[in-house]
Amino acid sequence: MKIDLTLNGEKRSFEAAPGDTLLEVLRRERFVGVKKGCGEGDCGACAVLLDGHAVNSCLVLAGKADGREVVTIEGLADGERLHPIQEAFLDLGAIQCGYCTPGMVIAAADLLAHHPDPSEEEIREGISGNLCRCTGYVKQVEAVQDAARRMRRPHG
Amino acid sequence: MGLLHIEEYLRPASLEEAFRLKRAGGERAAYVGGGVSLVLFAPEVKTLVDLSRVPLDGIHSDKGGVRIGASAPMREVLDSPILQTYLGGIVPRMLREVASPLLRNVATVGGTLVAANPWSDVIPVLLSLDAEVTLFDGKSRTIPLANLFPVRHHLGDALLTEVRLPPAPAHGAASFVKFGRTRFDVAMLNVACAVTAEKGRCSKARVVVGGRPDLAARAPKVEEVLVGAEFSPKTIAAAADVAAKTVEVREDRRASAEYRKELVEVGVRRALTEARARLAEGSR
Repeated sequence: MKIDLTLNGEKRSFEAAPGDTLLEVLRRERFVGVKKGCGEGDCGACAVLLDGHAVNSCLVLAGKADGREVVTIEGLADGERLHPIQEAFLDLGAIQCGYCTPGMVIAAADLLAHHPDPSEEEIREGISGNLCRCTGYVKQVEAVQDAARRMRRPHG
Repeated sequence: MGLLHIEEYLRPASLEEAFRLKRAGGERAAYVGGGVSLVLFAPEVKTLVDLSRVPLDGIHSDKGGVRIGASAPMREVLDSPILQTYLGGIVPRMLREVASPLLRNVATVGGTLVAANPWSDVIPVLLSLDAEVTLFDGKSRTIPLANLFPVRHHLGDALLTEVRLPPAPAHGAASFVKFGRTRFDVAMLNVACAVTAEKGRCSKARVVVGGRPDLAARAPKVEEVLVGAEFSPKTIAAAADVAAKTVEVREDRRASAEYRKELVEVGVRRALTEARARLAEGSR
């Protein structure tokens, strides 16, 4: 079946099997920044924005994305200029093996779009569906705090 | 890897059409709300009837109470100003303890009721609020939520369209206590209660225990202790004691029966104590 969606700002059309998940379609189309971790909605490595809300793409049927807007990690940067969340993750060393990073950045993007000035607890809650096995989450929380500051003062 | 045998993906635009397609597909067809339970647990399904285009979302309030569309994702319910003010925001307070924000953006209220997972946090709270559900099978009928579970395997092609909450009582308070190894994890046991008490005397009580590990159910003996009594710490202690003695619990991989028995007592005491504090706050 055919799926028409807006992917990272562009109108796209994909062929999919009726039982495909959004994750399967995205990876087949080489959007491999979207990671497959557990495949059960536990780890959050496959997170993408669906109409602005972060979802586990492993649990979303591809057909449900028809007519909607999807943003993957590939779509966050503005050309060569990284998104402030990506910059903050790099600058603060919030990355180790990197497998969880795309999903966590996407979850943070959803959080900061709806809560521009989150408390530490709100940040921890916001990324609570994203498992990281390298770290203790401290640097990621700091990076999201820093990104929030950068986004509130984009030219500061 | 749940969906290996899907042959058809259908996108009806109306309730009637959805019902007709599901009926034509029979037992191997399934409605898709958020799709979470399907992707995880339903490898036998052949035909998917996606409800995305059927207008079943939105949260409305009028003098008859609150109506929550079955397709509303949990996040929409959590953020709803209507539900944030309903009985001290009990439903959003509970939803903050359900899974993760990512999952709450996908999973729907209707889907979670039909899935009827015994560890569900949503079900005990909605039962404590005397929620009703509307089913559509050519025509609509509304039944108490409690009556849904005994028949849910025999719903045939009926579609759950709406959850209704009665108007919040004037002197009411509700609370929810979840015991889990982490906030993200499913409950080892949970307790929801809703109490109406005027001038310190309890006139109505709902105490529901879930994850026993059987599906959530009211604890009538505990409610009997409360109704007509002074809503005091002494009554609460007596209710918690009766709960430990009468609520049936079992062992499973998450917790032993002994441990759950302790949790029932502590959970009922904490939930009722919180409801009492909220009532006191409300009457000031």
